[in-house]
Amino acid sequence: MANKLLKKENLGKLIDTLSGEGSIFVAPRMDARQVVYAPVEKMDEIVFDYIIPINSFKEFLFPQTETVAAFSIHKEGVDLRGVEIEPKETVIFGSRPCDAASVASLRAVFNWDFKDEFYNRREDKAVVMTVACTKADESCFCTTVNLTPDSPNGSDILLKETNDNGYIVEALTDKGKKFVERFNNIFTPQPSAFSLQPIADVKHIVGADVKKIQEWLKDTKNYENPIWAELARKCIGCGACTFACPTCHCFDIVDEGSAFEGERIKNWDACQFEFFTLHTSGHNPRDTQYKRWRNRFMCKFNFYPNKFSSRGCVGCGRCIRVCPVRLDITEVMEEVSNQP
Amino acid sequence: MENQLRQKAKELLEKGEAKVVIGYGWNKRKTRTTPVFITKPEDVEKLVFNPLCVNNLSLYLTRKFTDIKALGKPAIVAKGCDIKTITVLISESQIKREDVVILGMTCNGVVYKQELWKGELKPEIMPTKCHNCDVRNPQSPLPTLPPQVGEEKGGGRSLAADFVIGEKVNFTPPDTPAGMVFDKIRDLDKKSGEERWGFWIEHFNRCIKCYACRQICPLCYCDRCIAEKNMPQWIETSAHPRGNLAWNLKRAMDLAGRCTFCGECERACPVNIPLNLVNQKMALVVKDAFGHRAGYDEKVHPPMIVFNMEDEEDFIK
Repeated sequence: MANKLLKKENLGKLIDTLSGEGSIFVAPRMDARQVVYAPVEKMDEIVFDYIIPINSFKEFLFPQTETVAAFSIHKEGVDLRGVEIEPKETVIFGSRPCDAASVASLRAVFNWDFKDEFYNRREDKAVVMTVACTKADESCFCTTVNLTPDSPNGSDILLKETNDNGYIVEALTDKGKKFVERFNNIFTPQPSAFSLQPIADVKHIVGADVKKIQEWLKDTKNYENPIWAELARKCIGCGACTFACPTCHCFDIVDEGSAFEGERIKNWDACQFEFFTLHTSGHNPRDTQYKRWRNRFMCKFNFYPNKFSSRGCVGCGRCIRVCPVRLDITEVMEEVSNQP
Repeated sequence: MENQLRQKAKELLEKGEAKVVIGYGWNKRKTRTTPVFITKPEDVEKLVFNPLCVNNLSLYLTRKFTDIKALGKPAIVAKGCDIKTITVLISESQIKREDVVILGMTCNGVVYKQELWKGELKPEIMPTKCHNCDVRNPQSPLPTLPPQVGEEKGGGRSLAADFVIGEKVNFTPPDTPAGMVFDKIRDLDKKSGEERWGFWIEHFNRCIKCYACRQICPLCYCDRCIAEKNMPQWIETSAHPRGNLAWNLKRAMDLAGRCTFCGECERACPVNIPLNLVNQKMALVVKDAFGHRAGYDEKVHPPMIVFNMEDEEDFIK
C-alpha cells in the first residue's frame, strides 16, 4: 500500500466521523498542567507540541479498574455472573514509537498461558496511530533498548510530520491498512514532493548494554550482590513507576460490595508495594525495598526477554520522570553493565 | 557551603559519631539532585546542596527503612522545613533526638519541582512554603529552655540543628501568608459547598492509587496502612471515584495537625492532585481550633492524636 498524506485540517474530520460512529479517539491533551493520553472529542483539544504523555496508553487496553464478574446471594442460592465486554473501536492518535512497541509486550503476557479475553477484545478494537518523535528529553532512552524515535514496531499506522502541517502516513498492519482505506477521503495520496521534520536525536547511553545486563542478571550468584541495596536504597516503594510504565501489567483481584452482592474487580497492582508478595503466613520473600526494586529490574531485563520475544522495557523514560527520588533506571543499567 | 557540609560529614564519619550521612547528591548527568547515603569518609565529595534539593530526607529516618536503620546512627542534611518534620517524628516517639545528628542547612529556598530549574532561583518557581518560610536559619547549639511543670531540667527545643551549615540568610516572611496555595484557599472558601465538592471530586478522580503521596510522606510511617487492610476493606483499592475519594479523605484526616507542609506529597503526585491545598487548609483549621502549628516544638503532641484530661469537650471523658 502506497503511503498517504494526512493534513492536519483533515484530522478534525477524522475525529468527527469516528465520534459519530461511536468510536473513542484518544490523543495527547492537557490535563492538570501536563500532557496525557485521554479521549478527545474535538481537534482543538489535541496537543501537538509534546514529547511524551505522562501516562502510557495501556489504560485503554488494560484499564486500571475493571469489573470482571458480579455476585449476589439470595435465599435460593448464589448467583454468579461473568462480565462480557464489547469494547468500542479505540483510535490512539499520537502514540510514540516506544509506547507502540509496548503493545507486543502486553499481548505476550496476556496470552502466555491463559488468554485474557478482556485484554484481547480491547486490543482487537484498538488502532495505534503513532507519530514519530521530533523531540526528546533527557529521560528518553529508546535507542539504548534497540528502538528508535521512528521505529515501526507495534504501530498500526506510522505518521511522520512534514514541514507544512501534515503527516506522511504509512499503514503497517492489516488493521492499519483497512483503517486508512476506510477513510480514503481523509487520507489523501502522498504528494510527489514533501519535506519531513527531522527525527529526534536520542543518544544511545554509552555504557548501558542490554545484552550484557541480561547475561549478568541470569547469573543467579548476582542475585545477592551488594550493589542492589546500594543502588535502590533510596526507593520509597510507591507505584508511580509501575503505573506510568507501558509494559508493567501486574494486577490484583478484589471483591467489592456487601456480603450479599458485589463485584469482582481487577485493579492494577505494583511489585513495588510492600504487600505485593506478603504471604498469608506473614512471611515476605521481598522484605526490603531494594528487593522489590531488584524484581522490577529483573522483570524488565531478564524474565521478560527470557520468556517472550518482546521487550520488557521500551525506553520511554516515564519511570525516571515520575520518580519522586529520581531513581534513574538508566543509571542502574550502566552500573550493572559495568559489573565484572 | 558545600565544603563546610562535606567537612562536617567527613568528621562525623571518621569519628564514628554517625555511621551514615543522608544527604543530596547529583544524578549522573548533574541535572537533578537525588538522595545519597554516604557511609565512607572518602565519599563525602558526593554531597551537594543547592535549590534543587527539594526532597525532605527525614523520610529516611522512619522505621519503614529497615536497611538504612541497619547502617547505624544517621546524620541528616536538613533544611529548616525538614527539621520541622523531624520535630514531629520526635514528638510522636518515632525517633529520639539523640539518635540523629541534624546538619541544619541555611536555605534561600528551593524549587517547586526540579524540572522547573533553569539555573536561577526566581520566586515564581518556588513553592508557597518558601515564600512564607520562618525557618531559613536553623539554630545551634540547642537552646536550653527553662524547665516546664513536671520537668526536672529544661530541654532543647525543635528547629535546632546539631550543626548549622551555611551563611545566615536574611529573610522575613510576610505578615499575611502569601503564595498560590493561600490564594487558592481564599478562592475556594468563597465558593459554595457544592462547588467545593465538585472541585475536589474532579481532582481526586485523577488519582491512580500509586500511593506516591503516602510513600514520600515522612509522617505516613504506619507499619500497615489502613488502605492495605482488607478484612474488612475500609478503603476500596479500586481507582474509581468512591475509592479515590475514600483514600484522599483518609490521607488528609490522618495528617491534620501533623503535616508540616513540606509539600512532598504534591511534588510526588504523578497526576498533579493539589495536595498542598488539602494540607494547608487542614493546617489552618487546626491552628484556628487548637492554636497548634505542627513542627515547632517536640514536646507538644499534635492535637488530633492526644488524650487530655483538661479537654474542654466532655463527650470524650
